[in-house]
Amino acid sequence: MTMTISTPSRAAEQPAAATPSRRKRTFGRDTRAGYAFLAPWLLGFFLLTAGPMVASLYLAFTDYNLFGAPSFVGLDNFRRLLTDPDYLQAWKVTGTYVVLGTPVKLIAALAVAMLLNTRFRGKGFYRSAFYLPSLVGASVSIAIVWKAMFIDKGPVDTIQQFFGAPAGGWVGRPEMTMPMLILLTVWQFGAPMVIFLAGLKQIPVQLYEAAAVDGAGPWRKFTRITIPMLSPVLFFNLLLETIHAFQIFNSAYIISSGTGGPARSTLFYTLYLYFRGFRDFQMGYASAMAWVLVVVIGIVTVIFFRSSRLWVHYSGESR
Amino acid sequence: MKRSLVGAVGMVAAASMVLTACSSGANAGAGGAGADDPNRENPGAEPVTLVLNWWGNDDRASRYAQAVDLFEKEYPWITVTTGFSDFPSYWEAKATEAAGKALPDVFQFDSAYLREYAQFGHVLDLKPLIDDGTIDLSGYDEKLVAGGQVDGKQVAIPTSTNTLAMVVNPDVAAAAGVDLPKDGYTWDDLNTFMEDVAGADTKTADGYKLYGSADYTGTFWIFLQSLVQQGTQPFTDDGKLNFKESDVVEWLKSTADLRGGDAIYPAARAAAVKPKTGLSMNESVGEITWDNFLAAYTADSGKDNLKLIPIPSGPDGTGNFFRPSMHLAAGANTEHPYEAGLLINFLLTNPEVGKIFGTSKGVPGDKAQRDAIEAPAGSVDAQVIAFEDQIGTTETTTAPIPVKGFGTIEASWLTLSEELGNGLTTPEDFAKRWFSEVQNAVG
Amino acid sequence: MSTVTFDPSTAVDLATSAKLHQQAQARLRAKAVVFHVLVLVVVAVVLYPALWMVVSSFKPSSDIVGNVSLWPTHGSFANFRKALGGIGGVSFWTFFQNSVILAVGSVVGITVSCSVTAYAFARISFPGRNVFFVLMIGTLLLPFHVVIIPQYIVFNTLGLVNTYVPLLIGKFLAADAFFVFLMVQFMRNLPRELDEAARIDGAGHVRIFTSIMLPLMKPALVTSSIFAFIWSWNDFFGPLLYLKSPQFYTLPIALRLFVDQTSVSDYGAQMAMAVLALVPVLLFFLVFQRYLVEGVATQGLKG
Repeated sequence: MTMTISTPSRAAEQPAAATPSRRKRTFGRDTRAGYAFLAPWLLGFFLLTAGPMVASLYLAFTDYNLFGAPSFVGLDNFRRLLTDPDYLQAWKVTGTYVVLGTPVKLIAALAVAMLLNTRFRGKGFYRSAFYLPSLVGASVSIAIVWKAMFIDKGPVDTIQQFFGAPAGGWVGRPEMTMPMLILLTVWQFGAPMVIFLAGLKQIPVQLYEAAAVDGAGPWRKFTRITIPMLSPVLFFNLLLETIHAFQIFNSAYIISSGTGGPARSTLFYTLYLYFRGFRDFQMGYASAMAWVLVVVIGIVTVIFFRSSRLWVHYSGESR
Repeated sequence: MKRSLVGAVGMVAAASMVLTACSSGANAGAGGAGADDPNRENPGAEPVTLVLNWWGNDDRASRYAQAVDLFEKEYPWITVTTGFSDFPSYWEAKATEAAGKALPDVFQFDSAYLREYAQFGHVLDLKPLIDDGTIDLSGYDEKLVAGGQVDGKQVAIPTSTNTLAMVVNPDVAAAAGVDLPKDGYTWDDLNTFMEDVAGADTKTADGYKLYGSADYTGTFWIFLQSLVQQGTQPFTDDGKLNFKESDVVEWLKSTADLRGGDAIYPAARAAAVKPKTGLSMNESVGEITWDNFLAAYTADSGKDNLKLIPIPSGPDGTGNFFRPSMHLAAGANTEHPYEAGLLINFLLTNPEVGKIFGTSKGVPGDKAQRDAIEAPAGSVDAQVIAFEDQIGTTETTTAPIPVKGFGTIEASWLTLSEELGNGLTTPEDFAKRWFSEVQNAVG
Repeated sequence: MSTVTFDPSTAVDLATSAKLHQQAQARLRAKAVVFHVLVLVVVAVVLYPALWMVVSSFKPSSDIVGNVSLWPTHGSFANFRKALGGIGGVSFWTFFQNSVILAVGSVVGITVSCSVTAYAFARISFPGRNVFFVLMIGTLLLPFHVVIIPQYIVFNTLGLVNTYVPLLIGKFLAADAFFVFLMVQFMRNLPRELDEAARIDGAGHVRIFTSIMLPLMKPALVTSSIFAFIWSWNDFFGPLLYLKSPQFYTLPIALRLFVDQTSVSDYGAQMAMAVLALVPVLLFFLVFQRYLVEGVATQGLKG
C-alpha cells in the first residue's frame, strides 16, 4: 500500500528549499513535535483499534462461536465464502448499492451545497431543512415513515400514476427494495452537503471575481475554479461515502426490520456479517467476511488515492 | 514518548491474550451452584447486588420494576440492578457478554439459544438450587420444567407457556360472508376456508382485498406442530433433525395452489404493512400464532372482539404442545448463585408477581401465580388462560427442545418463505437450501 | 448566481448603460423569485417524509402503520404524554440528560483530539508519518461488528463496563479516522505561506496550530462538531453494549422499547419520542450551522 503515501509525501518535500543547517535543526524539532501531536491518536490506535483488529484477523482463521475457545481451521472460512449463495447475494446487493447510490448522493449533495452557497435570504432555514432528513433518517421510526411513502396509494404511487406509470407501491416487492433504499440514502445527503459547504466557504471569492472579470460563465467557473479548489473535499466525500456505502448497515437493518428481506433483497454485506456473527454465533466466519471486505475496500481506496494525484489539487501544497 | 509506545504495544498483546484466555476457560461454574456463599448459612450476612436483564417493551419494564421492588422488600440485603432492551439487541449484548464472561446474574432466556449457552457452561446448572429448596417448583408441571433441561442439566426454568392458536377477527369473516372454521377442522378445511374468503373478493374501505390467512407454511413453528400432529418429534434427543427434505417439500406444497390462485394474503402487502400483519390490518380473517400474541393483535387492530380458536387438527386432533417461554437463567459467572436462586424463585413463584405480570409473558407455569391473576371475564388475559385450560384438558404433547442453531434455521426458513411467496423459488429448492443451512448451523 | 456579464470592449453610451442596468436589476429580481420557488419545491419534497413523521406522532398507534394519509383524524397528545412518562421507572429526562452528556463529551473530545492529530498529519513532516497515515485510513475499512467483542473484553477486564469511559475514550484519543481525515483534508488546503511566515517569526508548532490553524479551520471544526454531536446522539450499539443500568441509558435505547415483536407495540409513542429526540439535534444544527458561513471567503484571505 505504499502508493497511498504519495499524496501526503508531496508536502514533505516542501521544506527541501531550506538551508541544510536549518533543515537539520527543524528535522529533530519536527519529529518531536510530530509525535507529540500524534500522541493521542497513537495511544488510541494501539489501545483501542490495533489489538481488536489483530484479534479479528486471527479469528478469521478459526471456528469461533463466542462461547468456547476459537479453534484454528486454516482457510476453511474463506473456502466456505466461495460457495455460500447468501454471501454472493450479499456482494450483489452491496455492489449495486455502492455503484448506484454513491454518485447520486454526492451529486445531490454538491448541487444543493452550491445552491446554498449563493447569496440569498433565508439560507439558514434552507440549510437546516436540507439537513433535517439526515437527522430523521437515523431514527428507528424511519422504517415506518419510509414505507408509508412508497406503499401503494402513498405519495410516490400517486406521483408515478400522475406521470402515467402503472399504479402500485414499491414496498414488499423485492425488485423495488433497492431503489427505495438508494432513495433513502440519497435523501440523507446532509452530511456530504455540509462538508461540501464548508469546502466551498474556503474558496476565496477573489478567484470568482477575477474569473468574472475575465468573462467566465457559470459552467467555466464551476469546472475551472469550484471543482479544482474543492477537489480535496470532493476526494474526501467520494472516498468516505464509498467506504460507508460498502459498510451500510443501519438503514438496511432498520428498513428490513433486521431480516435483510424481503427475499434477501436487502441482504447487505455487513448485515449478513452481523447475522453470521451475532445471530448464528459464527464469529470466525464473520471475521473472515470482514477481512475480505477490508481488502476489497482497501483496493478501492488505493485506486482512489492513486487517481487523486491526477485530479486533487491542494492549494496549501503546490502553487 | 518511547515508553508510552511500549506500553501501548503491551496493551495490544494483553488485549489479544485476554481474548484467547477468556474464551478458553469455558466451563466455569458448570459444576455446582456455589456452596461457599456466606449468605446461604446466614442470610443477610453480606449485602449483595444482583444484575437482572430482560428483553421486552416499556410495559414489561414497568412490571419488572414493581416485581423487583417487592423482592427488595422481602430480601433487604439484596439490591437488584436491572437492564432491558428490545429482543434482537438483547441477544447481541448477551452474546458479547458471554464471550467476555460477564453475563448478568439472572436473565430472561429463550428456548432457541438454550443449547448454545448450555454447551459451553455459560449458564448455571440450577439443579442444586432446586434440590435444596431455594427454588421451589412444586407448583410446576414436570413436562414444563423439562423444557429448560439440556443434557441432564437444568440450565433455565420457563416462566410461562404459549401454545399455537388461530387468532380470528369475526368482523372480517362477516364482511366476507363466510363462517369461521368449526371445531375439529383440518388443514384441508383451512385451505378451503382461505379459498372461500379470497373467492368472495370483498374489499376494505381502502380498497384492499380480504383474505382468509397468510401463508402459514412460512412459520417454522407451525411446521413443527404439524409434524408433532403426525406423531413425529421434530428433533432427536441428541439435538439433530428428525425429518427429511421430502417432509419439508410436502408441507410447502400443501398451500401451493393457494399461492398460485391469489388465495393467500400477498407477500408484498405483508412486507408493506410490517411490523403489523394482515390480521392486525383487518384485512385477513385469521392467523396461526402464539396465543399470548392476542394482546398485541388486539392493540394493533384496534378491535376488541378478536377470538382464539384451536389450530387445524391432524390425524389425532390438534396435538398442541405448550412451548416453554420466557425462561429465567443465571449466568455461570455469577458470584452470588444463592441470591440469584432467590430472585429466580421469587419471580417464578410469588403470587404477587403473577398478579403484576398477568399473561403478558404467557400463562405462568406456576399454579399459585396462575391462580393469582385477576382477569376480568372477557379480557385478553382471561381468554388466553381459558384457551390454554381448554387445550390442556384435551390434547398436549411434549414441546420439542430446539436444536443448536435454532435461531439460524428459523430465520432461514422465514427468508426462504419470503422468496417462495414472491415466486422466486420452488418448494424443492427451498428444502435443498434450507437443509444446507441446517448442515452449517446444527452440524 | 448573478452572472450578468459586461463586455468592456463594447462601447456603450451612458443612457444605454443605465437602461441595461435597470433590466439587469429586474432580471435579478425575477431570478430570485424563480430561485426561491425552485428551492422551496425541493424543500417540500425533501421534507415531506419528516412532516409525515411529525404529524403521525399525533395519531393513535393503530392509525400509523400502513396508513398513508397525512392529516390525523383523531389527533391527540397521548403519544407524547406516554413518551414523556419514562420507562421502567426511569424518566424521559434521565435518558435525555445521558444523551446530552455523551454528545457533548463527543464533541469536545473529537474536536480537540482530531484537530491535533490532523495537524501532525497535514503540517509536520517526521519519519513514520506516512505509515501512520496509511494505518489511520486503514482503520476506516474494518466493519465495526467484528471488533466489538475484543474491545468489549478489554473494557470488561478493566472494569469499565457500565461507565461512559468506553463510549468516550475513543473520542478523546482520535480513534475516529473519519474526523481526522476530514480535518487533514481541510488543513492541507490552507495556504502554506501562513505557517512559513509564522515560522520565520519564530513561532513553534503549538503557536502555529492554536493561533493560525484553528481559527482558519472553523468550518471544518463546526462540521465535525455537528457530526460528532448527531452521531453520538443517534448511536445505539455502543450504549447498548456498555451501559447496563437504565439510569445510564440514552434515548435511542429507550426508543426501541416501544416496538417489541414479542409483545404489544406502541408505534405512536415511539414516533413521539423520536420527534422529541429530534428537537435537540435540530437545535444544535440550527445554532451551529450559522458558523459554517464564516469561512476563508468572508475573512478576505488572499488565495
